[in-house]
Amino acid sequence: MKINSLSTDEVFQILVTSADGLSGEEAKRRLAEFGYNEIEEVKKKPLILKFLSQLTHFLAILLWVAALFSFLSEYIHPGEGMLTLGLAIVGVIFINAIFAFIQEYRAEKALAAMKKLLPFYVKVVRNGKETEISAREVVPGDIILVAEGDKVPADIRIIETNEIKVNNAPLTGESEPAGRIKEPFSGEIINSPNIAFAGTMVVSGSAKGIAFSTGMRTEFGRIAHLTSAVEAGLSPLQKEIVKATRVVATIAAAVGIFFFVLGFVIGRTFWENFIFAIGITVALIPEGMLPTVTLALAMGSQRLAKRNALIKNLASVETLGSVSVICTDKTGTLTQNKMEVKKVACLYADAPGKVQGISLFHIALLCNNTKEAEGNLKGEPTEVALYKAAADSIGHIENKRLREFPFDSDRKRMSIISSMRDATYVLAKGSPESILQICNHCFKGKDIVPFNKAMEEKSVELYHSLMDQGLRVLAFAYREVEIGEVIASKEDAERELIFMGFIGLEDPPRPEVAGAIQKCREAGIRIIMITGDGSRTALAIAKEIGLVRGKGTVVEGAEFLKMSDAELHSVLSNEEIIFSRMTPKHKLRVVNVLKEQGERVAVTGDGVNDAPALKRADIGVSMGIAGTDVAKEASDMVLLDDNFATIVNAIEEGRTVYENIKKFITYIFASNIPEAVPYLAYILLRIPLPLTIMQILAIDLGTDMLPALALGSEKPTPGIMKQPPRKVKERLLNMPLISRAYLFLGLIEATACMFGFFWVLYGGGWTWGTMLPTNNILYMQATTACLTAIIITQIGNVFACRSSREPILSIGFFSNKLIFIGIAFEIGLQLFIVYHPWGNAIFATSPIAAQMWLVLIPFAVLLFAAEELRKFLARYRLR
Amino acid sequence: MYKKILAAVNEHLNSEVAARYAMHLAKTVGARLYFCFVAEKGQQVSIFNRAEEAMKRIFIDAKKMAIDIEAITETGDPVKKISEIVRHEEIDIAFAATRREDVEKRFYAGTVARDLSLALPCSVALVRVVHMGRIHPKKILVPLKARIGHLAERSYFSAAIANAFGSNIYLLHATKPITSFFHGEVHLTPIEWEKKMSKDISHFMEQLNKYKIIHEKRLVPGRAGRSITIEAAAKRFDLVIMGASERNLLGSIFKGNPVEVVLRETPCDLIILKPRHEDK
Repeated sequence: MKINSLSTDEVFQILVTSADGLSGEEAKRRLAEFGYNEIEEVKKKPLILKFLSQLTHFLAILLWVAALFSFLSEYIHPGEGMLTLGLAIVGVIFINAIFAFIQEYRAEKALAAMKKLLPFYVKVVRNGKETEISAREVVPGDIILVAEGDKVPADIRIIETNEIKVNNAPLTGESEPAGRIKEPFSGEIINSPNIAFAGTMVVSGSAKGIAFSTGMRTEFGRIAHLTSAVEAGLSPLQKEIVKATRVVATIAAAVGIFFFVLGFVIGRTFWENFIFAIGITVALIPEGMLPTVTLALAMGSQRLAKRNALIKNLASVETLGSVSVICTDKTGTLTQNKMEVKKVACLYADAPGKVQGISLFHIALLCNNTKEAEGNLKGEPTEVALYKAAADSIGHIENKRLREFPFDSDRKRMSIISSMRDATYVLAKGSPESILQICNHCFKGKDIVPFNKAMEEKSVELYHSLMDQGLRVLAFAYREVEIGEVIASKEDAERELIFMGFIGLEDPPRPEVAGAIQKCREAGIRIIMITGDGSRTALAIAKEIGLVRGKGTVVEGAEFLKMSDAELHSVLSNEEIIFSRMTPKHKLRVVNVLKEQGERVAVTGDGVNDAPALKRADIGVSMGIAGTDVAKEASDMVLLDDNFATIVNAIEEGRTVYENIKKFITYIFASNIPEAVPYLAYILLRIPLPLTIMQILAIDLGTDMLPALALGSEKPTPGIMKQPPRKVKERLLNMPLISRAYLFLGLIEATACMFGFFWVLYGGGWTWGTMLPTNNILYMQATTACLTAIIITQIGNVFACRSSREPILSIGFFSNKLIFIGIAFEIGLQLFIVYHPWGNAIFATSPIAAQMWLVLIPFAVLLFAAEELRKFLARYRLR
Repeated sequence: MYKKILAAVNEHLNSEVAARYAMHLAKTVGARLYFCFVAEKGQQVSIFNRAEEAMKRIFIDAKKMAIDIEAITETGDPVKKISEIVRHEEIDIAFAATRREDVEKRFYAGTVARDLSLALPCSVALVRVVHMGRIHPKKILVPLKARIGHLAERSYFSAAIANAFGSNIYLLHATKPITSFFHGEVHLTPIEWEKKMSKDISHFMEQLNKYKIIHEKRLVPGRAGRSITIEAAAKRFDLVIMGASERNLLGSIFKGNPVEVVLRETPCDLIILKPRHEDK
């Protein structure tokens, strides 16, 4: 038993109210109990705590410990530069936290957009008097008065109606105005025609109702709750970065501790061991990785904007690349949303016949709410198409509409009573099933004959054949109203009609869609169509655009509702799936089940009730043209052209971003080895420290940044959309990447930097075993050479990292101009560090001779050539 | 298990709704029903009258349902008086409505609802009424922890409420995601989660089978409180029945309190059961 199934008196009784409304005192009491009638955000982690969590994860804690020890060292051994180091490490922690936070941050504005759909003031009856109150003060039991143009403030049970029609689009997605009744209705509240829901709007007429549910407990509040509460969780990239940083931080900490202990064993002093431990930790941590990833994502989002996809939060750029399933609407996304009449079919004639002066086009023209304004037709696309075809065919018809029984999703038809010439007619149109069941005659030639079983079967056959052509089919019927006949209700009107025929309308597919779907197939991405259309129409369109090639699995809305989660799991494992006669509210369940299966899901939506599914999906895609503000705010990506092909382009971009992130992570990680080897040499070989910690930070947060970013803007490789989606278990930091960076590229760079260091030392007369003070010019020049060697080999490395297997010439040596800008920046910054007094002061460097650069350049060439050889062998092995 | 049921009624509409849940339970299990209103000293006459009217309405409805009923009106401290009635009449379970102010208080400490659940020597069903449209719940969500205390009573209570309204029960176990240090959250499919289902949940389901209650189950990884409210909203449940929190204040501060979250955000009516009948 629900409120919609009760009579008005029972509603009064259950809500303990009366036709005079509540008393002011009782309303106040109920307000205290039920709270304000408003949309509230669910309690979430405050932004400041989210930011603080970026300062307290494993890697950050490790760096805090390093900074703390640096400050402690400064206290014990002042003047050794440990204060600068400590501050630099704290800077690194904050830089990383800010960039991680930027990636995660997304302004939550969906609820603000939803709040706009509720009214500010509302008319109620209290103490027997009509009064206007703030809508947020409405309580269960209040008698509410609504009229044309009003927004409904709460879920109300209608008790009096004056031809009221409401637009339920925010809840159901159907923009067709729906009439409301006052009589009891058995069934679910959401489908009940005697309920006006919060957030909907009165299109015409007026009504009186009793509020039974307010605020977050209304149907509208339910959507708001879900929109606010559901979370997609961390993006795949964010998860990978967490994993990668944990692996690296653990390695760094373990190596640091191991050699710290080893240092004691081989007789190094505590101070030496301490510098080493911090140095090796800082060297092995890729401090610049997170800022570079964030900036690369930002650049990716810029490129996507140029391709008509607006990205709302940065992490989504990469998430797009991992999408394995797209759940898409049909109308407007796969199709053009430009309805046009394609076929007119009657039972016993090819063309629409005319009986008693009424043709099928008369019904199409008159039983239609399209309006002509300034030479344009305004209305729902299907109605506009019918109106246009009918007007073109029969021109304007003099008539007077006497009454209308509007379309509703339960009857699936509309009817009007219209007087034309000297007669009055009931004209009806709707879904074939709903019209055929109220017809008892049809016309055969010019005769009206009883509608027998055989004719009914023939009709079904006929409309199935139209649907199989991908057409949306509407049926038309009429009858003449007898003189003196009283029509009090739609049941009186919609009976014993004469079936006229069908009109098939086509919403042509977008021309780019078939190609985009083919691309998805090659890329191993499944597409699931979710549409309100009938199964046959949906299947025909799906076949036309190549979405279904075989038999396909079609699940109708009613069937879907009966399915248990386990059954749905099984259905969703199929390859080609269409959900027909579905409403947007069911999308959330589909997305949930797909996510449970481990899929990475993109879902499209445009209505208010799409918002929870858009939030829950890995990528929520809203429509820029047809979408509501709520859907746009709840989504991760807005399609500026509402076009499915744009999603596929965005996925291609996302995949490219991931590939590019791998490229620059290889580049960044390679430089960690020449940063770490000097420390190992320092502790094991008893030589002066070849590279200071500040110099390491100069590489990680300075010279490496722009070339890495340039790698982030590499163009997609030709095969990027021919590979299956990345597996969930595939790691960003996998063994091939680590071994290539650490054991191959890194080792060549390490050889170069140690060579540069010893070249200067021996050139300056240094002998093995001599320890030099940190302010010794020779020592400073040697560390500068070591640093310069890393910078120079990183130039060779940036070219090497542009591909993992393809030769550089095949992708075009000059095809990425940003690489050259990055290298120019890298060299410029290094010149500043080596030759400018400020650079010398900050990084403890000293100018080196120009020939030194020439000595080191062959290492960059060697690295590049060795990498090209490795790629060649890799390609050869794959053949 | 329940021979005598008590429902506390006051001037608020939600106490009347809570009493109706008690009424339907009494009808189903054939228990004697006690309605009581305790007027605090110095209470306004209008408040007293409203409570009396509510008592009358419930009384008439209960009589129509042929329930053995007794109405009690007392004056004094509500918690103390109700406690006395419970002891004197040997009540098995007491129903009371939670107030909005209870929800707004952190850990709903110091509220009448909490005092009742702690003070009464019988089982207590605290009812949070938020939706006046779903009069007879058809879909009941029963969130379960891996280890269920007072399993027999909880399954009996859930089954009796489902029987009272001819409802289906959906069991939900929101479990902590499985994580590893290097791999983070480990994704498990529903079938894999199924294998990890606790014995208590299986036992709970056996009990429901025994009571011939149609039920489904679902396991989701995530924070319990938020997962429950999302499930309740997404699938339009009419009622949530959950066990009272066993988490202490310190635990609630550090780990959060799912009951508190559901109490605050529930999209449908909620019954929090504090069972006292020990498992045999």
